[in-house]
Amino acid sequence: MKNLLLGLGLWVLLMSCTDQTDVGLDSPTFTVPKNFPNPAYALERNLITSAGVDLGRTLFFDARLSRDGTIACAECHSQSYAFTHHGHDVSHGIDGKVGNRNSLPIQNLAWSTSFFWDGGVLDLDLVPIAPIENPVEMDETIYKVLEKLRNDKAYPKKFKAAFGSEEITTARFLQALSQYMLTLVSANSRYDKYVRNEGVTFTADELAGKQLFVDKGCANCHSGELFSDGKFRNNGLSLTFGTDLGRGRITEAQEDYYKFKVPSLRNVEKTFPYMHDGRFRTLEAVLSHYAEGVQATPNLDPLLNQSGRLGIAMTPGEQTQIIAFLKTLTDEEFLKNPQLTQK
Amino acid sequence: MKSLLSLAVAAALSITIFSCTKDEVDAIDPNGTGSLNLEFDNYVGATNLALGTTQYKNAAGETFTVTTFNYFVSNLELTKEDGSKVKVPNSYYLIREADPKSLNVTLTGIPQANYTNITFTIGVDSLKSLAPVAERTGALDTGTYGTDNMYWSWNSGYIFVKLEGVSSAVPVAMSSSQVYQYHIGGFGGGFNGSAKTANNLRKVSLAVGSTPAKVRANVTPDVHLIIDAAKMLSGTSNISFATTPMVHSPALAKPLVDNYVNMFVVDHVHND
Repeated sequence: MKNLLLGLGLWVLLMSCTDQTDVGLDSPTFTVPKNFPNPAYALERNLITSAGVDLGRTLFFDARLSRDGTIACAECHSQSYAFTHHGHDVSHGIDGKVGNRNSLPIQNLAWSTSFFWDGGVLDLDLVPIAPIENPVEMDETIYKVLEKLRNDKAYPKKFKAAFGSEEITTARFLQALSQYMLTLVSANSRYDKYVRNEGVTFTADELAGKQLFVDKGCANCHSGELFSDGKFRNNGLSLTFGTDLGRGRITEAQEDYYKFKVPSLRNVEKTFPYMHDGRFRTLEAVLSHYAEGVQATPNLDPLLNQSGRLGIAMTPGEQTQIIAFLKTLTDEEFLKNPQLTQK
Repeated sequence: MKSLLSLAVAAALSITIFSCTKDEVDAIDPNGTGSLNLEFDNYVGATNLALGTTQYKNAAGETFTVTTFNYFVSNLELTKEDGSKVKVPNSYYLIREADPKSLNVTLTGIPQANYTNITFTIGVDSLKSLAPVAERTGALDTGTYGTDNMYWSWNSGYIFVKLEGVSSAVPVAMSSSQVYQYHIGGFGGGFNGSAKTANNLRKVSLAVGSTPAKVRANVTPDVHLIIDAAKMLSGTSNISFATTPMVHSPALAKPLVDNYVNMFVVDHVHND
């Protein structure tokens, strides 16, 4: 298996070195894992090529996308932490300014139908505009970014390799970033190998945790192989840390106040801290919240308020077992794959 | 001397008359096309809009300046004398007072006819607001706005109308430089996975006046529109800079939208 992957990796590397002008589906940089559903992203509108991915990756790691050249996308989306901002409750951007939300992992985005904690953006291609133009993140305009790229020596050639001509447009810039982000697929965790019968066995605690994850209702929201139903729910966080309206900020409807997108749990061991504002530093704190911290705030999800009890009844032992299961979702190959990082 | 003056006046008059009436307007070629110009002339009340420090007054008596006045005009449709309609395909225009080029829009490939009405949407329709990025060209290219941004990146959608300036009525606690900002968007949504938001899209239909716009091979009519920015601040409801200095969300924008739907008129048409 390892040799096969190495071989595949080498082949991709060779392809990207020798076949830069061919525009088409020229490399297996994106494949749908066996246990995953069909992607939501309209792949036919933006054919993934090795040259396109290469360009997108270069852009992702290029701090010139920010106003003063200090903040790249990778600043708040670091591979070792499943492309999140390691250890920061909320993202730290330009001039030492801080945002108001915890940066979400960039993984398996081909299966997302909405983006950000509030789902305000619906198309992956439009996602990068938000951090680039946010005054507390990269504080730059797309207009200026394109100008910088056009005046650069290397970029026009990279755009030609990816799109057939040196013209640098908004659409090409965004589509290249999408191509790279689409290749950030995490599907080789121990869990995946377990469900695909690839020779992985679970410990007793992991097995018990897997069953509890279903029995206790975690899987009602963190459903399917993506471990999210993509819906917006209020999970009963105390409002004492702030009154971010979440989904309500987008719809401006009171019934959406305090709802946030159910995040995927893939690589959750590495994406700490947790929740939209990063208030919990450990998985133990998260489980403890669901066991005894859920508050009856407006629009609390009914699943967390059943038969007069707030939250989910779980013993400390059960919480430990669920955490053991969650750690099987850690995908070391994804977190360490050198193909996904800057060369 | 007096007779010389009369002669000069007569000469001037004849020139004026001459320049206003075309000798001959071609007959309509039913298969032929022509062009039509739209001139967007922005005013505040009866005064031509000057961006910067010129002071204006709203209905509440508050003085204000205008530093930015932009709006999208889209989905143009022209009505012929016989009532039939001609849609102008893919028509999306961003009018920006700061960009003189944007104030004149030339529609080409228009069937030859006499047109009595012009209809358009203020803003960018929901389908285009959800369109793939490669289809967002021209006025819809989010990479062309620079610092005068007309796109909400955090809640995907275009800013339909933007009015900004300074007013001494803006509480210093709200803005130390007493800036007011009205950013109006909101295409409704609620389909294809989009959030349902306030729908601030409005259609405007304007009669061009007693003389129709005569599109011919040899005539490109100039439809001169007057847009009164002050009407954004009054009409259905009076907007006060003291109480509402900032609008950045679709739901809060409705009073401004109900006002600005009446800010467009066709002043006159030149058929030459």
